[in-house]
Amino acid sequence: MIDTPQGELNIRSEADIVAARRLVRNAATTLGFGITDVTRIVTAASELTRNIYQYAGSGTVRWRSLNEGVDVGLELVFEDSGPGIPDIARAMESGFSTGKGFGLGLPGAKRLMDEMTIQSETGKGTKVQTRKWLRK
Amino acid sequence: MAIENISVIKLRDILLVTVPSDPDDLTISALQEKVLEAMERYECRGLVLDISTVQTLDSFFARTIAETVQMVALMGGRTVLAGMRASVAVTATQLGLSMGRALTALDVDRALDMLKPLLPEGNRI
Repeated sequence: MIDTPQGELNIRSEADIVAARRLVRNAATTLGFGITDVTRIVTAASELTRNIYQYAGSGTVRWRSLNEGVDVGLELVFEDSGPGIPDIARAMESGFSTGKGFGLGLPGAKRLMDEMTIQSETGKGTKVQTRKWLRK
Repeated sequence: MAIENISVIKLRDILLVTVPSDPDDLTISALQEKVLEAMERYECRGLVLDISTVQTLDSFFARTIAETVQMVALMGGRTVLAGMRASVAVTATQLGLSMGRALTALDVDRALDMLKPLLPEGNRI
């Protein structure tokens, strides 16, 4: 029997970034990811959770295990009702930031995960969906 | 994680700082301030940042460390980052992080060896 972790966390304060890292770390470890992939997943989660806090003020992080045939993975969804991303292509460029970061958050998270999709509407909010598959 | 949990030890003219394993952003900013204050107060020539327990190095954390290295350099000190875990090194590189002009060492012991030439004769570790 495989453990199938899933859950969600509301992001309202800066301390919730640390909480999100811990919960995502637990989920990834439970699914059987190795230390390097766990670190990649947790680091991506940290970047995307900080984006919620920094740009939208609040939002939600959800995680669930994926079972597609023999493939097992972890899906993370970061959703907020913030200002949205006016130019997603620009936001995906390394080094571009309207905030106080390196501008590595979105492009960096995409490199660390296997799949990433962004839906965003100006004034309505942003939803970032990412997946990492377990290599066997 | 409170600021009290950041360990700052003065060893001769070198400051040895143990970075907590999973710090929040406030703790990371507090660490920078505490390090700079101690560098000034003790007139240190070198700084060793022990990051051997750090599990997640994201861009905010890396940026603050790179900034600290730069600030310490302006004050005349050298910084060595010691003990980065392999999984963190892999992730930091893929994320695209650069740690500025920091020297790096496998562990604190080797970091102290690197800074030894900065110490005045007779005050060697």
